[in-house]
Amino acid sequence: MKEIYFNADAGYLEGVVRGYRDGLITKPQYSNLTQCETMDDLKLQLATTDYAPFLQNEPSPISTSTLSARCTDALVAEFQYLQQNSAEPISKFLEYITYGYMIDNVVLLITGTLHERDTHDLLEKCHPLGFFDTMPALCVATTVQDLYNTVMVDSPLAGYFRECLSAEDLNELNIEIIRNTLYKAYLEDFYNYCMACGEPTASIMSEILNFESDRRTVNITINSFGTELSKDDRSKLYPRLGNMYPEAQTRLARVDDMDQVKAILEQYSEYKTMLLGVNLNASSGGVGGNELSLEDRFFIKEVDLNKEAFEQQFHLGVFYAWLRLKEQEIRNIVWVAECISQQQKDKINNYTPIY
Amino acid sequence: MSQTTHKTRTLIAAIGDEDTITGLLLAGIGDIDTHQRANFFVVDSKTTQEQIEETFTSFTKRKDIAVILINQHVAEDIRGILDEYKAAFPTVLEIPSKDHPYDPSKDSVLKRVQLLFGD
Amino acid sequence: MAAVRDNVFPTRMNLTVTKTRLKGAQTGHSLLKRKSEALTARFRAIVRKIEDAKLKMGKVMQNASFSLAEVAYITGDISYQVRESAKSATFKVSAKQENVSGVILPMFQPEVQASGSQFELTGLGRGGQQIQKARGVYIKAVETLVELASLQTAFVILDEVIKLTNRRVNAIEYVIIPRIENTISYINSELDEQDREEFYRLKKIQGKKKERAAATQREMDEKAKLAIDDGNIHQVVDDDSETGVRNILSEQTDSDIIF
Repeated sequence: MKEIYFNADAGYLEGVVRGYRDGLITKPQYSNLTQCETMDDLKLQLATTDYAPFLQNEPSPISTSTLSARCTDALVAEFQYLQQNSAEPISKFLEYITYGYMIDNVVLLITGTLHERDTHDLLEKCHPLGFFDTMPALCVATTVQDLYNTVMVDSPLAGYFRECLSAEDLNELNIEIIRNTLYKAYLEDFYNYCMACGEPTASIMSEILNFESDRRTVNITINSFGTELSKDDRSKLYPRLGNMYPEAQTRLARVDDMDQVKAILEQYSEYKTMLLGVNLNASSGGVGGNELSLEDRFFIKEVDLNKEAFEQQFHLGVFYAWLRLKEQEIRNIVWVAECISQQQKDKINNYTPIY
Repeated sequence: MSQTTHKTRTLIAAIGDEDTITGLLLAGIGDIDTHQRANFFVVDSKTTQEQIEETFTSFTKRKDIAVILINQHVAEDIRGILDEYKAAFPTVLEIPSKDHPYDPSKDSVLKRVQLLFGD
Repeated sequence: MAAVRDNVFPTRMNLTVTKTRLKGAQTGHSLLKRKSEALTARFRAIVRKIEDAKLKMGKVMQNASFSLAEVAYITGDISYQVRESAKSATFKVSAKQENVSGVILPMFQPEVQASGSQFELTGLGRGGQQIQKARGVYIKAVETLVELASLQTAFVILDEVIKLTNRRVNAIEYVIIPRIENTISYINSELDEQDREEFYRLKKIQGKKKERAAATQREMDEKAKLAIDDGNIHQVVDDDSETGVRNILSEQTDSDIIF
C-alpha cells in the first residue's frame, strides 16, 4: 500500500535524484579524463559533465584543491535542491544524512576552541553539507565548557553529545575518540530511524549502514594497532550494528594484528571475496604498485551497494546512495587531477569506477 | 659559530603552503614552545609578504632552530631577504611544493654555486 | 714594486732571524695552500652532492605530497587537525661534527622519536593507515632534507673558510714573502756596505802604517849613512846609541823578567 503514496511525497525528488545519477561520470568519460596531460585538458573534459557550470569561471591553471572545492559546490547545490523541495519524511531523511557532516564540523570547531584559535576562520573550512543555522553561534564560545553548553542547546547533535560525552570529556579525550564516539551514536540513531521508515527503505538502508558500520569497525581495529587506544576503549567505539555485531566485534576488540582481522573477516561471505588478493599491508593504491588496499576494496564494495539501491523503487535509500556515489566521484576526479598535476600517471587508474 | 650554538639547535622550522606544512607536521617536526611560538607557518592566498618576511626573520633569530624549510614559491616572494641571508645557522633550504615543482635555477644557494663555478 | 721592508736594524743577528722568518712563511704558505686544496676538493664534492641531493629532493617531495593526496582521497582534509595537534617535535636534529683540515663542519643527524606521535589516532575511523603511511613517507623526505641541509651548511661554512684561506695564501705569497725577501736583501746590502767600509778603513790604516814604517826606515838609513861617514866620533856616538838601544831592549827583557 505504501508504494502508492510514495510518489505523492517523493516521486518528483526520486526522479530528480535518478536524473542526477545519470549525470555521474561513466567509464568512457573516465578514460577521457585519465588521458589528459594537463589540468586545463581535464577542465575541458569536465565541461561536458554536471560540474561544468561550477568550473567554467575558474581561472586557469586550476589547482586540485580548487577543483575539489568546486566539485563539492556542485554536489552541495544538487543536495540543497533536493532539501528545498522535500517534505516529510524525505526532509527528515536528508537531514539525517547531513548529521554525519555536522559531526566533522563540530569536531573541527572543538579542535579550534581547545587550541584557543579564532573559530570564525574555521567556518569556511567546514563542510557545507554539515552547516547548520546555529553553527556560527558555536564560534562565540571561547571555552570548551561554553562550547559544550552551546552545542547542547543549539545543534541538532545535542542528542549524541548528551548520550556519550560530558563537558570534561571534550577536554580530556583525544579529539578522534570524540569524533568516533559521536559518529557511532549517529550511525546507530540513523539506523533506528531507517528501520522505522518501513520497507523497502529499511532493508536497503540497513544493508548500506551495516556495511558502513562493519567498515568502521574494521578500520578502527586496524588503525588502533600500536596506539594508546586500549582494547576496551576500542570496543566502545564500534557501532552497535552491522553484520559483525555483536559476535565478531567482541573478537575484533581483542586482536593484535592484521592476520587475525583477516581470519575473522573471512567468516563472512560478503567480505571473504573482498579480501581475495588484497595485500593487507599495502595502503591505498600508491607505492605498493597497483595492488588494491583494503580501503580500496571497501570503496568498491560501497559503490556496489549504493548502485544496488537504485535497483529498487519507492524507497529513500536512493538519496543516500546517490550522495555517496557522488562523493566517490568527486574523490575520483580529484585523484585523477592529483595524478595529472603531480605527474604520477602510472597510478591514475587507481580510482574506484562507478558506472 | 661556536660549538655551543649548534648543539642547542634541534628544531626544523617550516614556511610553506598548507599541504607542505601538513606533510612536514605529520613527520613530526611541529613544535610549540613555552611562549606559544610555533615553528611552522602556513602561507595561503591571504598571507602578505610582510608576514612572510617577519616570520622568516623571526625564525632566523631563534636559537633553537637548525634548519628552515621554505617552499620555493614562497621563497620567491622574499627573494631579496633570502639572497641577503648568508649565515650558516640556521640553514635555509628551499623545497618544492605540490603545485610548484622544484626549479634549481631559482635557488639562492645553487645560484651561489653557479657563481663560484660558473666562470 | 717599491721595496717594502720591515723596519729592522741591519745586523747579522737580524739577518738570521729574518731568514728564519722567510723559511717559516714559506712553510706556512705551502701548508695553507695544501689546506686550501684539500678544502676545495671537499667543497667540490659537496657541491656535486648538493646538486644531486636537490634533484633527489624534488622527487622525494613529489612522492611525499602524492602520499598526502592519497590520504585526501580516503580521509579528506586533515590539515587543520594535524596543525592543531602539533605540540612538541618528535622529529628533531642533532648536530655531529666532522673535521675537515681543521674546519669543523656540523652534520645534522635526524632524530625521530619512534613513539608518542601526536597523530596516531588521526583518521581512526577512516584512512588511518594512509595517514601513517604518509607520515612514514614524509619522515623519509625530511631525512633527505636534513641531509641536504647539512650539505648546505657545510657549503656555506666551507665557502667562507676557503675564501679566508685563499686570502691568507695570497697574502703570504704576494705580501709577506716579498717583504721578508726585501728585508733580507736590505740587510745584506747594508752589511755589504759595512764590509766595504771596514775594508777601506783597514786599507787606509795599513797604508798609514806602511808610510810610517817607511819614514822610520828612512831615518835609520840616514843615521847609518852619517855613522859611516865619520868613524870615531860617530863610533862613540854609535856606542852610545847602541847602549841606548840596548837599554831599551834590556828594559824590555827586564819587564819580561818581571813578568
